[in-house]
Amino acid sequence: MSPGFDADPCDQCEEMLQPYLDRELNEAERAEAQEHLDSCSYCRKRYKFEEELRVFVRQSAVEEMSPDLKQKLAELRTPLF
Amino acid sequence: MSGTTPEAEPRKLAEDARDRVRFEEEALELADQVYRVARRLVSTREEAEDLMQETYARAFRAWRSFQPGTNLRAWLLRILTNLNIDRGRRQQRSPDLQPLEEGDYFLYNKLEEGREPNADEERVVERLSQDDVVSALSAVPHDFRDVIVLVDIGDFSYADAAQILEVPIGTVMSRLHRGRRILKRELAEQTVGSV
Repeated sequence: MSPGFDADPCDQCEEMLQPYLDRELNEAERAEAQEHLDSCSYCRKRYKFEEELRVFVRQSAVEEMSPDLKQKLAELRTPLF
Repeated sequence: MSGTTPEAEPRKLAEDARDRVRFEEEALELADQVYRVARRLVSTREEAEDLMQETYARAFRAWRSFQPGTNLRAWLLRILTNLNIDRGRRQQRSPDLQPLEEGDYFLYNKLEEGREPNADEERVVERLSQDDVVSALSAVPHDFRDVIVLVDIGDFSYADAAQILEVPIGTVMSRLHRGRRILKRELAEQTVGSV
């Protein structure tokens, strides 16, 4: 059930941030969130930040494998003969 | 009487060898992606490297149990997470040590509170450093971190993450939701200081 925007609308919008970005809301909930976002720069800034944060977390967490490990994994292959 | 011809056995062996070689090649092609997830499931590079070697050794031995056409990356990660648990690298959290979490706006609000007067209001995320993210992520308890790493970093679906971790999809979703909030709280602590 939609939490609705009867209480503090920004609090309700905060609760919808993750499901909104994950596209987990149904059409009615999404429209409700969108309507609030269209008129509230406070929430809009925080949604934009969350989107950028997710990209930044993904980029920051990447650490490439060393060529040495790659070689070791290849050596684990079953010999053909 | 079986209908096996004298040629059938060598042919079977050759097909088997060909399938195995193909499996090993495909698994190795995915190693970079598997490592990126492995690296954030454990604390150190050494642990991640050990885990990768154990995972690939086991996968190459058990290649026949992989069902062609299914998700090989998820299959490898399932072996890896099971090995990680088996080796006792994870300390299970006791129920009374539930991590604190704040709302989803918490980190932004903290960053705004500490904003320099001339700082660009549009580029709030740039006030975070990559080191802060890595450090905050490692402070998130394992149950929550595993899901963040698989879904937000490894790009697995909820269904794949559920299968890898052997938990229901609903658990994946609730841990992801809480885990992201815990991560943001940790990030606020790393970036702005005691919260």
